[in-house]
Amino acid sequence: MTDARLVLAERFNAHPDSRCWHVAWNPAGTLMASCGGDRAIRIWGKEGDSWKCLSVLQDGHQRTVRRVAWSPCGTYLASASFDATTCIWKKKQDDFECLTTLEGHENEVKCVTWAPSGNLLATCSRDKSVWVWEVDEEDEYECVTVINSHTQDVKHVVWHPTQELLASASYDNNICVYKEEDDDWECKATLEGHTSTVWSLTFDPSGQRLASCSDDRTVKIWKCQNLEGSGVCPCATVEDAFGSWTCVCTLSGFHGRTVYDIAWCRLTGALVTACGDDGVRVFKEDVTADPDQPTFSLAAHVSKAHSQDVNCVVWNPKEAGLLASCSDNGEIALWRYQEDDE
Amino acid sequence: MASHFSGVLKLTDLDDFITPSQECVKPVKLEKKPGQSVTKIQIEDDGSYFQINQDGGKQKLEKAKITLNDCLACSGCITSAESVLIAQQSQEEIYKVLRNNKLASATEQMVVVVSVSPQSRASLAARFGMSSSETGRRLTSFFKGLGVHHVFDTGFSRTFSLLESQQEFLERFQRREQDKTALPMLTSSCPGWVCYAEKTHGEFILPYISTTRSPQQMMGSLVKDYFAGKQGLNPRQIYHVAVMPCYDKKLEASRPDFYLDEEESREVDLVITSGEVLSMLEQEKVILNEVEMAPLDELFSNMSGCGNELLSHAGGGSGGYLHHVFIHTAKQLFGEEVKELTYKTLKNKDFQEVTLEKDGVVLLRFATSYGFRNIQNLVQKLKRGKSPYHFVEVMACPSGSLNGGGQLKALPNQTSKELLQQVEQIYMADMPSIPEEDARVAELYRSWLQGVGEERAKQLLRTQYHGVEKISNGLIIKW
Repeated sequence: MTDARLVLAERFNAHPDSRCWHVAWNPAGTLMASCGGDRAIRIWGKEGDSWKCLSVLQDGHQRTVRRVAWSPCGTYLASASFDATTCIWKKKQDDFECLTTLEGHENEVKCVTWAPSGNLLATCSRDKSVWVWEVDEEDEYECVTVINSHTQDVKHVVWHPTQELLASASYDNNICVYKEEDDDWECKATLEGHTSTVWSLTFDPSGQRLASCSDDRTVKIWKCQNLEGSGVCPCATVEDAFGSWTCVCTLSGFHGRTVYDIAWCRLTGALVTACGDDGVRVFKEDVTADPDQPTFSLAAHVSKAHSQDVNCVVWNPKEAGLLASCSDNGEIALWRYQEDDE
Repeated sequence: MASHFSGVLKLTDLDDFITPSQECVKPVKLEKKPGQSVTKIQIEDDGSYFQINQDGGKQKLEKAKITLNDCLACSGCITSAESVLIAQQSQEEIYKVLRNNKLASATEQMVVVVSVSPQSRASLAARFGMSSSETGRRLTSFFKGLGVHHVFDTGFSRTFSLLESQQEFLERFQRREQDKTALPMLTSSCPGWVCYAEKTHGEFILPYISTTRSPQQMMGSLVKDYFAGKQGLNPRQIYHVAVMPCYDKKLEASRPDFYLDEEESREVDLVITSGEVLSMLEQEKVILNEVEMAPLDELFSNMSGCGNELLSHAGGGSGGYLHHVFIHTAKQLFGEEVKELTYKTLKNKDFQEVTLEKDGVVLLRFATSYGFRNIQNLVQKLKRGKSPYHFVEVMACPSGSLNGGGQLKALPNQTSKELLQQVEQIYMADMPSIPEEDARVAELYRSWLQGVGEERAKQLLRTQYHGVEKISNGLIIKW
């Protein structure tokens, strides 16, 4: 393992004198949206060899913008804020206009994410609830469910890559998995195992596995024992196909502090983490291992990727190995991950 | 501790860790005795505080206590009210009163009145395999055996709620042009919804909420005003207990609006849930379907002429507000006799619409909106000026009141859905009564209230709402 395989491509100050909380690639991989403590959302595009700020979306939020998410079509952007609202922005040529503001959460909205279909949106909040919203043709949003399965602040929500299955991570140390069941959404499984706050979740490209990262400094890999069409559920106590998740791997001893974010690359299968010890780490799966007992090894590590906490890591959806990270110091960094045999 | 409140209320907890003993932000008023300068406070081994006066005398200091009223008036948290509630509104309280009655002299005894909701009756009926009326008669017997003096039916007071709702809607409909907040009229019988509206949407939403009292609080007026007067009792001499399908009803009974200041008495002293009645039965080792049947208390029961069967109201398990207001308005304003309402299911089964059309024009557009998700969409539509409704029956619980958090839980051999269906069937099996045709209620309007819409009727049959200002200070940010 050497640092050389995660090569810094570019670094810039995205949210000066503020924290940069999150950065998101558009589906085409050509634009980035970032958000921060300065209440602004910035859109970044490549001009020549470097990334430039194309527009700044202000006036949408009264407090910190914690999270941004692109719709699967790339036309809409959703932003979640500590002002308890979620804004929906629509791309108009080179600019964005705020279409609507989703109200309802009692306090800080921590995360927002679009379902693969683009018709559903999920949000979560410090109010302990997870909401699913439905979008109609006229860009009207309606709440389809409010789920109170967590007992504490909900940090993260993520959709399954192909199914209408939602997972959430919380300050209560648990992960919940939800599915719509005649007329309403229900929590189908609670994944217990982390011993502190679960900060982020990511599905593997097939959707059969879920990786979680936590304040307990570990990463856990969870496998669904019976996703639809993949055989009989071996666990007798579980009534439903989506209810059976088991932890098949725990990565411990790698991270010096809280692991804030994790992302599974759809193109290479590599797993990257963002850590409170300022490091960015890439893990590679041993393809010869038993699928029920996978093993991961640390393939690359930049110990001082940023001068402060790394809040977020995201793989570019089109360009294999291109990675963006952002930090409490307001910076965004772009990295190229190169594997041995390349 | 698991919370018993409806989902709507659970959501309004503002912080992760507040319990009244820990981080409660409500300032507490302490009675200060004048003319003493404190020199010292001494803490005893058991944790009690004593004030040492200058003359060396010791005086035990009172602990600061948060009451349910403090919790209700505060926007800090709501689930923490739970522990306060358990102390102040539990079935132990009725036992205390009944025990005291046995020891007290005749003049000091309280008259104990229990008012049972039709939804609670249906829940208990399902458990013991009986009809609602049979359950009513056996419950009457059970309570009277414990020392309760009267057992009433809030189906009777609901007739007042329905009539007042009809009246209020007509008033609002007629002033809709001048008053933009006249419509839609949102029902108020669900205390979870009212509490949420007060704490979260304050002054914006409150004008839309019907000022008509819920059946529980209508019964409060009947018992502590009419009944007390007839019996020549001070309201304080009556202990009034309501049996309800919902924990949030305890919050409703504790509202200052339902406290008689002069008489220092609450209109409803205690609310116990259907489940807590089951606990009482278990505590007494009584199986309800084996209890002797007692005649129903005719004074305040919604029952048939022959006095054997309890009656219900049409329009579903949440009281039938939409049904009755719709039929009444269609007739009064448009001369249309509506025999049957057609409910159109919208986004989900808890969001339904009923319209009255004439020559292709929609005259009335009513909806039911149950459960938090539908309440959210209703509130947001109202805020955007996009709500097309004249009237909305709002309930915090999905499926409405029969599915309240205080109802009996499903047994291990049944799903909660099966149980709910069973309870609904029992509830619907009762013959409906028609509020306008209830001669006794009409007579009470004349003799007790001095007519419909009069000042006295307003005071006894209506209520008001109070927005709670949000606390925006001192919250520790958690990223």
